[in-house]
Amino acid sequence: MKDPLTQRMVFLTGLLVLAGVAGALLSPHFLQGSTVGYLLQYVPVLGVLGMAQTLVMLSGGPGIDLSVGATMSLVGLAIAAMFGAGVPLLLACAVGLVIGGLLGAVNAVLVCVLKVPSLMGTLATFFAYSGLALALTGGAPIGGIPDWFAGLAQGRFLGIPVHMWVVFVPLAVVLHVMLSRTRIGSHIYAAGNDERAAFLSGVKVWRLRFGLYCLSGVIAGLAAIMTLSWFQAARPDAGEGMELLSVTVAVLGGAHIFGGIGRISGTVLAVLIVTTLQVALQLANISQAWQLAAIGVLLIGSVMADNAVGDRLRAAARRAAS
Amino acid sequence: MWTTLTSEASDARNRASVISRPIRIGREVLLLIALGVLVAIFASQSEFFLSERNLTTILRNSVDLAVICAGMTIVIILGGIDVSVGGIVAVSAVLIGRAYQYDMPDMVVVPIGLAAGAALGAMNGAIIAKSRVPPIVATLGTMYIFIAVLFLVIGGVWISGLPNTLSFLVLGEFLGLPSGLFVIGAIYGLSWLMLRRTPWGQRVVAIGCDEHAARLVGIRVDRTKIQAYALLGLFAGLAAVLYVARLRNVEVNIGTNIALEAIAATILGGANIRGGIGSLLGTLMGVLFIKMTQNGLVLIGVSSLWETVVIGGLLIVVLVLDALETRRTS
Repeated sequence: MKDPLTQRMVFLTGLLVLAGVAGALLSPHFLQGSTVGYLLQYVPVLGVLGMAQTLVMLSGGPGIDLSVGATMSLVGLAIAAMFGAGVPLLLACAVGLVIGGLLGAVNAVLVCVLKVPSLMGTLATFFAYSGLALALTGGAPIGGIPDWFAGLAQGRFLGIPVHMWVVFVPLAVVLHVMLSRTRIGSHIYAAGNDERAAFLSGVKVWRLRFGLYCLSGVIAGLAAIMTLSWFQAARPDAGEGMELLSVTVAVLGGAHIFGGIGRISGTVLAVLIVTTLQVALQLANISQAWQLAAIGVLLIGSVMADNAVGDRLRAAARRAAS
Repeated sequence: MWTTLTSEASDARNRASVISRPIRIGREVLLLIALGVLVAIFASQSEFFLSERNLTTILRNSVDLAVICAGMTIVIILGGIDVSVGGIVAVSAVLIGRAYQYDMPDMVVVPIGLAAGAALGAMNGAIIAKSRVPPIVATLGTMYIFIAVLFLVIGGVWISGLPNTLSFLVLGEFLGLPSGLFVIGAIYGLSWLMLRRTPWGQRVVAIGCDEHAARLVGIRVDRTKIQAYALLGLFAGLAAVLYVARLRNVEVNIGTNIALEAIAATILGGANIRGGIGSLLGTLMGVLFIKMTQNGLVLIGVSSLWETVVIGGLLIVVLVLDALETRRTS
C-alpha cells in the first residue's frame, strides 16, 4: 500500500463502486443486467484512445497527443471512402490502420525528429486532420457500411458487446503485458522517468517515442473501425472532443503528464468510472452538467491528492535515510 | 511548468537572450509575408475582400479572440497554458446575460462580467501555483467545471434579446475608425507595457525562462502566476462583454473552440509552450491570419470548412521552419 500507484488503483476502484451505488440510488433502471451491456457499449472507443494517450504520456518528453480524435475521424472516412470505391471492407480496414500509423508518424516526425514540443506539434496536426475530415466530405457523413460489419460493435456475446471482447480487452492485456513484462515496457518507463539516465544506459529514447506516436495513430484507427461498425457510417466529427477526453481519462487513471508513472489498468478503471457516471446520470435523467463537474473535480482532486501523497512518501524516505 | 527536464544549455541561453531582445523580428516578418500572400489570394478572387465594409467585419469578428490572446500570450510566456478560457468566457457571458435579464444597468453588468472572469482566472492560477497541478491538467479540470456551471445556469436555452447599449464598443465608430480597433489597441498597448516595461513583466519572462532560478533570486513565483492567470481571466471576461455587446445573445455552446483557437494564434505568433518566448505583435498577426482565413474562404466561394486546414497547415509550416532554424543555429 506504500506504492502511490497501488493506492491510486484502490482509490479508483472505490470511485467506481461509488459511481455504481450512486447510479443505483438515482435510477431504478440502473441495477439491471441490460445496463452492463449498454454501459460497456460506450467503453471501447474512449478506452482505446485513453490507452494510446497513456502510452504517449508514459514515455515522457513531455508527451501528449492532441490529434487522436482527429486521426480517428479521418481514418474512419478513409475506410468508408475506400469501401465506397469498391475496396473490400476488411482490406480497407487494414489500409485504414496503416493510414492511422502514417498520420501518427507525422506527429512523430514533428515531435521526435524536429523536437517541436508535443503540445504544439499535435495541436497543429489536430487542426489539420480535423479540418481535412470536415473539408474533404463537406461535413456530410459517408454511409453504406453493410449490416454484417455492424456485428463488431452492435453485436453481443454473453451480454457483452463484441468489440469489448475482440478489441478493448485484448488490446488492454497486450499493452499491460508490454508495459509490465517486456524490455520495451521498462524502456518506456525509463525514458519517462529520466530521459538522460535512460539515454546513457542505452535506451534509444527518441526512437521509442517515435514508435509510440505511430502506435497512437494505429490505435486511433482501431477506434475508427469500431465507430464505423457502431454507426454504420463515418462521421467527419466522430472524434470531436476525444482529444481532451482521452487526456482526462489517462490522467484520472494515474498517468503522470510528464511521464514515467502510470498503468493501463488505471486508464481502464478511469474509462469505466467516466462511462458509469455518464450512463447513471442519463438513466436518472439528470443534467449532463453534473457529470462534467464531477470529472473536473476528480481530475484536479486526484492530481492534488497524488502530490500530497508523494510529498509524504518522500518525507518518509528522507527520515528513513537520515 | 511545460518545460523539458533536459533543456539544453544553448536552449537556455537562447531563451535568456530574449529578455534583452524581446521582439523576434524573424517571426513577425514571416507572418507578415503569410498574411500578405493570404490577402493577395483573397483580394484577387474577390473584389469585396478589401472593401472597407469587409475589413471592418473582419475586425469586428477578431475583437473577442484578440483580447483573449493578449492574456494567453502572457500566460504562455510565463510557461503556463490555459485550456479553460472558453469556459471562462462562457460563464462570464451567461452571468452578463442573466444580469441584463434582471434589468441591471451597464454600470453593474460590465463589472460583474469582468470580476467573474478575473475570479475564475485567479482560481486557475491558485490551483496551478499552490497545488502544483500541471497547468494543462488543472485548466482541463476547471474547463469541465466551468462548462457545467454554464449548463446549470443557462439550462439549455439561448439567452437572447439583450440590450444594445454597449454595442458601440465593437460595432460603433470613433474618430472615423471602427471602435474595435481602439479596444484592441488599448488592450495590446497595455499588455505590452506590462510585459516589457514593468518589473512585473520581467518577472513573468524570468519565470518562463527558468522557474527554479526565478524562485531562487527571490521572485514570488506563486503570486506572479496567480496574477497572470487572473489577467487572462479578466481579458476573457472582457471578451464576454464584447461578445454580448456584438451579438446580443448567449448561445448554449459559447466558448467551445476559443481555447484551442487562442493557443493556435499565440503559437503562430511565435510563442513557445516551453515558456520565456512570445510576442504580442506576432499573436495579433496570428489572430488576424485566423480571422481573415475564416472570412476570405467564404468570400471566394470555398467552403468555410477548409478554414481549420489552412490554420493547421500554416501552424505545421511555421513549427517546422522554427525547428529547422533552431537546428541550424545551435
